[in-house]
Amino acid sequence: MFKKWFGNKTNHHEEVIMAPLNGEVIPLEQVPDPTFSEKMLGDGVAIVPRDGLVVSPVKGEVVQLFSTKHAIGIRSEKGLEILIHVGLETVSMNGEGFESYVSKGDRVTVGQPVIRFSLETVRENAKSTITPIVITNPEFINSIQIETNKEVRASETPIMMITMKE
Amino acid sequence: MLEKKVTVHLKNGLHARPAAQFVKTATSFKSSISITKDKDYINAKSVMGVMALAVTKGEEVIILADGPDENEAITTLEEFLIGGDND
Repeated sequence: MFKKWFGNKTNHHEEVIMAPLNGEVIPLEQVPDPTFSEKMLGDGVAIVPRDGLVVSPVKGEVVQLFSTKHAIGIRSEKGLEILIHVGLETVSMNGEGFESYVSKGDRVTVGQPVIRFSLETVRENAKSTITPIVITNPEFINSIQIETNKEVRASETPIMMITMKE
Repeated sequence: MLEKKVTVHLKNGLHARPAAQFVKTATSFKSSISITKDKDYINAKSVMGVMALAVTKGEEVIILADGPDENEAITTLEEFLIGGDND
């Protein structure tokens, strides 16, 4: 499936979301937090990170960066809103172990570093390092194709292909 | 149109789970609903919009509702933001 994505140029109703982190992709349903597993914030996937660098998965604009820097929202040029939430229950860490390279309103390109975090600090202080990546505006989505349970490389491996409503 | 100033008491503010629940609640009403912290009015039915407000505990927000069920919408959302059971 992924070879096909690379082989064919996507049309304007499709958008490929690249991996924002190095790690293993797992289904959202396996995330041990109902906010994500029940898709309350939107559909998507999760990554078990291997290191602490988060890059932008699309070309677009930073639309939200929580003060604690553990979550970032990026709107793609086609209008998809992608939320990357580093770890689970990381809001209670109050930013410890997190730094950001961008601000709300910044334009970003695929692969541009946006957040760096200490994997150790998250592992020790939060519920999990599992990082959900969800699309928060489902009204734009017709269908989502994902491929899980495999290793991905940040900005190189696609993790989702979204067909948008016409 | 109705407008109400509310002090948010949710422990983690309007983040992740509470943001999702707030948006889900707002979406259940027919009225158009917006929320603001200082100057920008955000569509209360947008997850990213509400999270972008980055409302933390103790902050004041204003909710606006305009439509056939605006009374109920304001009351329900105010209770949600004040109540401490959802964080």
